[in-house]
Amino acid sequence: MNKPEISNAFTTVGRETPQINAIEKVLGKAVYSADMKMAGMLHAKVLRSPHAHARIVGVHTEEARALPGVHAVLTGDDTPTRMTGIHHKQHRILAAGKVRFIGEEVVAVVAEDEETARDAIDLIRVDYEPLPEVFDTGEALRAGTIEVHDGSGNLACEYNVVRGDVDAAFAQAALVHEDSYETHSQYAGYMEPMATLAWRTSDGRLHILTSTQTAFLQRMRIADAVEMPVSKVRVIQATVGGGFGGKTAEECNSLICAWLATRVDRPVKFVNSRLDDFQGCRSSPPEKIWIKMGVDKDGIIIAKEVKIVADCGAYEGLAGHVLQVSTVRSDNMHRYLKNVRLNGKLAYTNNPPHGALRGFGGPQAAFALNSHIAVMAEKLGLDVVEMLKRNAIKSGDTSVHGFQIGSSGLSECLDQVSDGIGWDSKKTRPKDIGVKRRGIGFGTAIHVSGNREMGNWDGSTVIAKMAPDGRVTLMTGECDMGQGAFTMLAQCCAHELNIPLSQVTVLPTDTDMSPYGHGSIASRVTILAGNAAIKAAREVRERLLTLASEKLGVPKEDLDMANGEVFAKSPAPNQKIPFGDLARLHIYRAGGEALQVTATYDPPTFLAMATPEQYGNVAPGYSFAAQAAEVEVDTETGQVRVLETFVSDDCGKALNPLAVHGQTCGAAVMGIGWALYEQMRYEDGRLLNGNFADYTMPTADSVPYIQSGIVESMEPNGPYGAKGASETAIVPGAAAIANAVYDAIGVRIKTLPITPEKILAGLRAKQAAQDASGASR
Amino acid sequence: MSKKTIEVVVNGRTHRAEVPARRMLSDFLRDDLFLTGTKRGCETGVCGCCSVLIDGEVIKSCLSLAVHADGHEVTTIEGLAVDGVLHPVQEAFVNHGGLQCGYCTPGFIMTTVAMLNDNPNPTEDEIRHGLNGNLCRCTGYVGIVESIKAAAEKLRGN
Amino acid sequence: MKDFDYLEPASIAEASEMMLAHPGGSVMAGGTALMLALRQRMVTPSHVISLRRIRDLRGITHTPAEGLRIGALALHAEVARSPLVRQHAPMLADMASRLANPQVRNQGTIGGNLCYGDPATDPPSCLLALNADVVLRSARGTRVLKVDQFATDYFATALEPGEIVSEIRIPPSAFDAGYHARFLRTAAEHRPLVNFAVSLRKQGDACEDVRMVIGASTRVPTRLRKAEDWMKGKTVTARLAAEVADLGASEIEPISDIRGDGSFRRDMARTACRRTIEDLFNPAGSAATSAA
Ligand SMILES: Cc1cc2nc3c(=O)[nH]c(=O)nc-3n(C[C@H](O)[C@H](O)[C@H](O)COP(=O)(O)OP(=O)(O)OC[C@H]3O[C@@H](n4cnc5c(N)ncnc54)[C@H](O)[C@@H]3O)c2cc1C
Ligand code: FES
Ligand code: FES
Repeated sequence: MNKPEISNAFTTVGRETPQINAIEKVLGKAVYSADMKMAGMLHAKVLRSPHAHARIVGVHTEEARALPGVHAVLTGDDTPTRMTGIHHKQHRILAAGKVRFIGEEVVAVVAEDEETARDAIDLIRVDYEPLPEVFDTGEALRAGTIEVHDGSGNLACEYNVVRGDVDAAFAQAALVHEDSYETHSQYAGYMEPMATLAWRTSDGRLHILTSTQTAFLQRMRIADAVEMPVSKVRVIQATVGGGFGGKTAEECNSLICAWLATRVDRPVKFVNSRLDDFQGCRSSPPEKIWIKMGVDKDGIIIAKEVKIVADCGAYEGLAGHVLQVSTVRSDNMHRYLKNVRLNGKLAYTNNPPHGALRGFGGPQAAFALNSHIAVMAEKLGLDVVEMLKRNAIKSGDTSVHGFQIGSSGLSECLDQVSDGIGWDSKKTRPKDIGVKRRGIGFGTAIHVSGNREMGNWDGSTVIAKMAPDGRVTLMTGECDMGQGAFTMLAQCCAHELNIPLSQVTVLPTDTDMSPYGHGSIASRVTILAGNAAIKAAREVRERLLTLASEKLGVPKEDLDMANGEVFAKSPAPNQKIPFGDLARLHIYRAGGEALQVTATYDPPTFLAMATPEQYGNVAPGYSFAAQAAEVEVDTETGQVRVLETFVSDDCGKALNPLAVHGQTCGAAVMGIGWALYEQMRYEDGRLLNGNFADYTMPTADSVPYIQSGIVESMEPNGPYGAKGASETAIVPGAAAIANAVYDAIGVRIKTLPITPEKILAGLRAKQAAQDASGASR
Repeated sequence: MSKKTIEVVVNGRTHRAEVPARRMLSDFLRDDLFLTGTKRGCETGVCGCCSVLIDGEVIKSCLSLAVHADGHEVTTIEGLAVDGVLHPVQEAFVNHGGLQCGYCTPGFIMTTVAMLNDNPNPTEDEIRHGLNGNLCRCTGYVGIVESIKAAAEKLRGN
Repeated sequence: MKDFDYLEPASIAEASEMMLAHPGGSVMAGGTALMLALRQRMVTPSHVISLRRIRDLRGITHTPAEGLRIGALALHAEVARSPLVRQHAPMLADMASRLANPQVRNQGTIGGNLCYGDPATDPPSCLLALNADVVLRSARGTRVLKVDQFATDYFATALEPGEIVSEIRIPPSAFDAGYHARFLRTAAEHRPLVNFAVSLRKQGDACEDVRMVIGASTRVPTRLRKAEDWMKGKTVTARLAAEVADLGASEIEPISDIRGDGSFRRDMARTACRRTIEDLFNPAGSAATSAA
């Protein structure tokens, strides 16, 4: 008889699985940073700059200091002189000497309670000497203009990538088309504003409980900024109320709070008000994107030239990485594209700084690219879905930038979406001619799952410990900010050990105890930590079987495990031993130790960032998505309603369909928000709508029921075939909507967001053009 | 500081407390009664994270002073489960993808409880309109709508 | 929020006295508007004078002679579900059931709405179209104003020191139809960009009498008198609806702010007006599209 496969009757892999901490969340018992209290805890508030560019001439804090209940009033001059930042170290913990954007933190107050801190803020006076300001990237990059950082020429960074022979390819192309697009900044909009609690212990260590997606990067950055050895700083991840890229190592709430805790003798809590959060956040960089594309007569993309100018705002942070993604990543979706010339420039301005946001540069590029392709398909008389499919990269391909595509379900996504939304029939139905007109459009996306960019390591480590009762505890350096990462790790472990999910606990990241991890960025956790968890669990399994074999006197091959027991399959099926017994046995024997395994998975990828060519396979897997949107445009009000939308996500394998659909729907709605509803409105660098009444994120009644489909392309590098699934679906939406608007009314919106005013202006311009051509005839 | 003594029934328990007049109801619940399930997400009465029931009707506790709750009955997210058994709305949110990060969840659940009291069999449209005082960034609302449909069905069955 | 003293008068007279005694104080009804201002420290009163214990400010009643009386403390939700309002001023109940969101409807009062003078709200235009009276009381006596006398400007009212709004009265009317259209700039907005309220008496396809008001996009709700005159006595066709809307839109002075500039607001006012009239009459040739 054949040996039976590993049994896993208890597996949840591939099944709809509620989050392992869902119950504490619905009970209101999950502890977020702002919920924590410590004896003697003080409260912080900051005063922000009202100027976009000014010299700080004097700070008058006497009155604030004198207010009863105030413990400290600190200014930039009190902060370490060492600069902080991601690559470019550009600012101090509080602004010193100069402010460079409206909202920059200038003075911090620590007081007995929040209201007193707020009272003290009102008593502070800062004298500024305004400096000339620059807000437009074009102006910023002009030689001889005002510099945000002396000697920078306002050029934060620049990418130049050339591959193949672009000019020759353009010469051969059957159709060449060029155009410009503009995108705007999106706020992460997590429901939990940033919040941190920090305290020192008598051993001189600094402890920081915060809302973060990257606990270890936070530790590194905070230790550096406050000039403490990394080992003396501990970052603990609280339950996180959403991150979306906004809670990486760029936001300043945690940094300021941590530093304040080094300056007073009591714990300090700093909870952002929503306005604080809007003003202090890093929203996505607005980009101006010019594309020139050449295709052959069959619509095959053969040449592409792209120039992007992105607004960095006052400090660089991660905006440079974001721009890099906007510049190169979308090229990798197209299998025949070999000739590209790309230029990306990041300009400093006195706008608030921009940085990481879900999709990380992908949405900007995809909006321009998918709009552009739709135009070219129309010019060629080709169905755009057909054109996208002809170009879609396939499993086994190596892309123009050296991405080795282990799995691509892009074509399948296109098919699934087409069928799901009824593309063919909707595309061919007669055009509406009334006041309200429907249209349909498409968008596509590629995203990485992991990205080798920090040192030459993109690994992830999981520690699995088995307690003497046989339950497993996992520790990871990656973070769960609501996306369900911990549930995924528990699923992997439970699957390998064939135990119920409830037998696995995943500890929140604590840099004192958890293994190092870069954190939850670049959709890396499923593919990297998932693999590490499997590796760790398999080692635990191996050890259990070895011990059980000794104990029961049964060869390992004849043993299996289920529900927390190892049992003999034959010849004596009654022989079994609980995990707990084995875990104890693992300790209580000569030379024993607690059953604990550390496993690391570092994928076979390449650090392309470090080479001038920027060529190579940066990620162990690439996720794809396609989305179609059907809209209705009201030609009298300019309102665009998304009637229906279908998104398909190639996540390799849906380890937890409930979570994948949840991520997809959330990302798609965030994409609709970016396309139609949300806009950071600045006037000379001042955010005019830093509140949810005026920065209007999608509500339940402003979006349709998102239809979400899953394509399982089975990534060879992935845990059970899985890859990332949380960011991809934010990428294609804006273009799908813009293309649908064009289909509906013949007006192409090239500057996001698609507002009623722009629709109406577009319709008027179209009418005027028609009238003019009618008149000249 | 001006203070006021209030008497409020919260989740079935009577609390007498002296509170500063400027204490918001949300802060009173969170900081004085340690009921931190009620969240703060904005300053503009928009996000709904702070939703609680007063005498059975859903309100935003960030738009109310604690002194205004004097003499009333407040129900927070902590008051829904009975003896550790989840309220059907809570259970539905767990099982149907009604939550991810969970920060908006208490607010949505309280709103849902009130909604289903008024209208035990809402259409999807009614559900969506009934949720326009609550924001969720994670779910795209699909899981929430599904959860509410499931909860409504279960509650009708009982 | 700055510290303040908190007072709870039990009667209108007592409230009025407290207001006069503490000129730096603020009256609070449901608090939904005032709390925002307090938290942002835009308003820093020495005293908050809560009206919540004043019985006389509550309740909704009706008499055939005087019509509806709605206490100033009536919540939007109470107005929405009151059988009396639904019977005698259905457009008001309907408006109240759609404004803001469920929570704010359970907290905000109709009186507080009027007294705040925030243009981006719905009740003022609706009440003006219903020819409502605003009753103001103080220790000195009672005044009765029409809504357009009461709302004097952007965030300004005719309230005098020591005065509070006690009730809103909606006199019996000869109108037999009406609608309040709440128009949002996009579906994700929380506040109306513009609203249009109309009360009318129909005779078949013809309009015998009409009152029309634009709100939210104007500093104060604005009667469309020229448009009313043009419409009265005419058969309502799609063309007439468009003419009325054009006239009406020309009669307002729209505000410009980040939610919408003046010309956009005027265009939307015109569209909301025309569509609402079309919906009410359903003339042949209308685009059959709903206003909000
Ligand atoms: C998120 C949100 C969305 C909203 N959306 C809408 C909407 O779509 N449409 C809409 O119409 N409105 C909307 N509103 C506004 C809402 O209608 C008002 O906030 C509410 O009606 C105000 O009533 P209140 O009782 O809460 O007033 P309060 O905040 O208590 O008082 C407001 C002001 O009026 C004064 N005042 C109150 N009552 C009296 C009185 N009887 N006599 C004298 N002075 C008095 C107070 O001193 C204060 O200055 C929204 C509000 C919020 C927070
Ligand atoms: S915190 Fe109350 S509505 Fe946002
Ligand atoms: S679950 Fe995160 S905001 Fe709703």
